[in-house]
Amino acid sequence: MVKIKTDILIIGSGPAGLNAAYTAASHGANVIIVDEAITIGGQLKQQTQILNNLPGEFNSQRGFSLVDDFYERLKSLPITFLLRHTMIGIYKNNSIGVTNGKETFPITYKKLIIATGAAEEATIFPGWTLPGVMTIGAAQILLNREHVLPGNEAIILGFNEFSLEVGKQLESCGVNIKAIVAKGNYDVELFHEAKNVGIRVVSNATIISATGVNEVEKVVLNIDGIEEEHMVDLVCIGNRLSPILEAFEILSCQLAYQEDLGGLFPKYYNSLETTNTSVYVAGNAAGITNIGGILITGEIAAWNALYSLELLEYSQFKNRSRALWEQLYRIEESQVFKARIAAIKETYKDESLALPPFVELLLEEC
Amino acid sequence: MEKSTIVCRCEEINIDEIEIAIKNGAQEFDDIKRLTRCGMGTCQSKICMNLVRKIISEKLNKPLGEIAPSKMRMPLKVTRLSALTKNIDLCIEEKATLEEGEQTSV
Repeated sequence: MVKIKTDILIIGSGPAGLNAAYTAASHGANVIIVDEAITIGGQLKQQTQILNNLPGEFNSQRGFSLVDDFYERLKSLPITFLLRHTMIGIYKNNSIGVTNGKETFPITYKKLIIATGAAEEATIFPGWTLPGVMTIGAAQILLNREHVLPGNEAIILGFNEFSLEVGKQLESCGVNIKAIVAKGNYDVELFHEAKNVGIRVVSNATIISATGVNEVEKVVLNIDGIEEEHMVDLVCIGNRLSPILEAFEILSCQLAYQEDLGGLFPKYYNSLETTNTSVYVAGNAAGITNIGGILITGEIAAWNALYSLELLEYSQFKNRSRALWEQLYRIEESQVFKARIAAIKETYKDESLALPPFVELLLEEC
Repeated sequence: MEKSTIVCRCEEINIDEIEIAIKNGAQEFDDIKRLTRCGMGTCQSKICMNLVRKIISEKLNKPLGEIAPSKMRMPLKVTRLSALTKNIDLCIEEKATLEEGEQTSV
């Protein structure tokens, strides 16, 4: 059943997949990237804000321009892009099943890097299924990618860096943000940022209900025990993200749980190899992190895949791996990095393997 | 929260139905699925899985990490039957090459 063969197969062409592809292809590996979208870039495509915490080799820039940056880096490399192709299953013997909507076929890999990213979690309240209630990411896609105004009067549920950023983007396009609803207490710095742009943040608050005929028309908030009504046509849910797991589950990769990594995620070693040999994880699928962490984990996974394909010298591999992990330590939020290292330690423990001294060192460092 | 609040939007399963399933002994997402059809719609539990896991965790007072996710089955995404069957022989014989496949370059 051997047809399409490649050294390294990458699922997902977001920042992690693209950086993994760049690393792998520039060190002599044949690479295929599969993505269900029609263009590369994943969720970067609608990020109009400037991304600051990028690794040294990238300039600070907006998300969509980082996609262009990758396009330039990748176009001369031996990479096959299978866009509008979706991984829907697996065959035996290191092959996955891919469909383009018309037919389904296997792709055989020596190493598989899964960079499927993360999904936004929902929050339920009476009326959350009404049209006009959407995730904050969906509102951003409508605004920046589809150029459609998702509403005129909005409430945002969930106060974090991303929901505030999209709130600002919505406001700058003429949407009136009536309030950002924060569950508990909020980050003071973030609160001041909201205040500076004139966005109201209410704390210790929840949405009691959303009501309307055919679409959301009214939202009732509970702010510290006091009810407040707002006439709105848009409710954005700005929750946390969680890793997308389907591909790992179907490949029988074991899962683990870490609150600080976004919940369930595939278990992995410091090579980012999962418990299924030859299957690696990169990006938000390996634990929710920032853009810097997403790019670096893409490179780490590719680097390890290259080394196990004997495309790298040991010293070259070892030095770069260490440098990457140290870079990750500096660029990631410390609690995410800690959770990641703790998770790696657990994997070694569960498999009764000795923890590499290098991970031991990282553990001490954080 | 109101008992009628929807949890699984594809199959329109509300909190009440999920809580009743838990009272009847459901301990994992798949138990709820078998009892209520929750998660069996078009999105295949992509939206409701963690919502349901959270409800189970709260009701049974068990850590969220111990509530198993839904069992994934192929095809992982909504796929036309014609796309699944069209190349059935191609998957057995070794005649296709990458060039013959539909290929899009950047």
